[in-house]
Amino acid sequence: MPPARVAADFGGLLRALRAGDVDFIVVGGVAGAAHGLARATYDLDVVYARSPSNLERLVATVGPLSPYLRGAPPGLPFRFDAANLRRGLNFALTTSLGDLGLLGELTGGGGYEDLLSDSVEAEAYGVTCRFLGLERLIAVKRAAGRPKDLEAIAELEALEEERG
Amino acid sequence: MRQAPSRPRGPEPDPVIEAYKKHVDRTLLRENLKLTPGERLEKLAAFMRSLREVQGAAGPGRR
Repeated sequence: MPPARVAADFGGLLRALRAGDVDFIVVGGVAGAAHGLARATYDLDVVYARSPSNLERLVATVGPLSPYLRGAPPGLPFRFDAANLRRGLNFALTTSLGDLGLLGELTGGGGYEDLLSDSVEAEAYGVTCRFLGLERLIAVKRAAGRPKDLEAIAELEALEEERG
Repeated sequence: MRQAPSRPRGPEPDPVIEAYKKHVDRTLLRENLKLTPGERLEKLAAFMRSLREVQGAAGPGRR
């Protein structure tokens, strides 16, 4: 039986990204929770800007957190550097602060620049971060079409109704 | 939380999602809506810590 999954240190990761001046938008379960979703979530997912300067800041910030590809066998020659970030797009990582999803694009949502106008700023864990807005969060979850998201979409839509 | 500019409504209601929606505990959502985003995320972190403790009490390897 696999070991119990441990939730990421959401605050630690967000504070590190802000301290590193990384441009990012929080999406996924943590964004849902910021809006009021009442569901467990284990990792922090962010959409990051793909500009060369932001990739460098991302590497400088996340590099010291021992990032490694989640689910990959140990010992792979994975290097978390700007060149690899440019070659790839979405990275599911383990770090010393827990699981971190670095997303260059969201299915049906686009990249950082596409999402920026539908994001909102809020303070959490002592720092101000951008979170994807509730309506867009619902739209991208719907667009992803993953069966595992159906319950979360229902709850997000109920949340939207309750908010009025 | 200040909301992003409103966009036209998305797709029509999905019958599967509507079915799930009937089982959503809205009392939890209403309680969360009384909090700030920061308070909601503190609550999430506390909930995940307590979940971990329960998993630990259940024994190694349990989920």
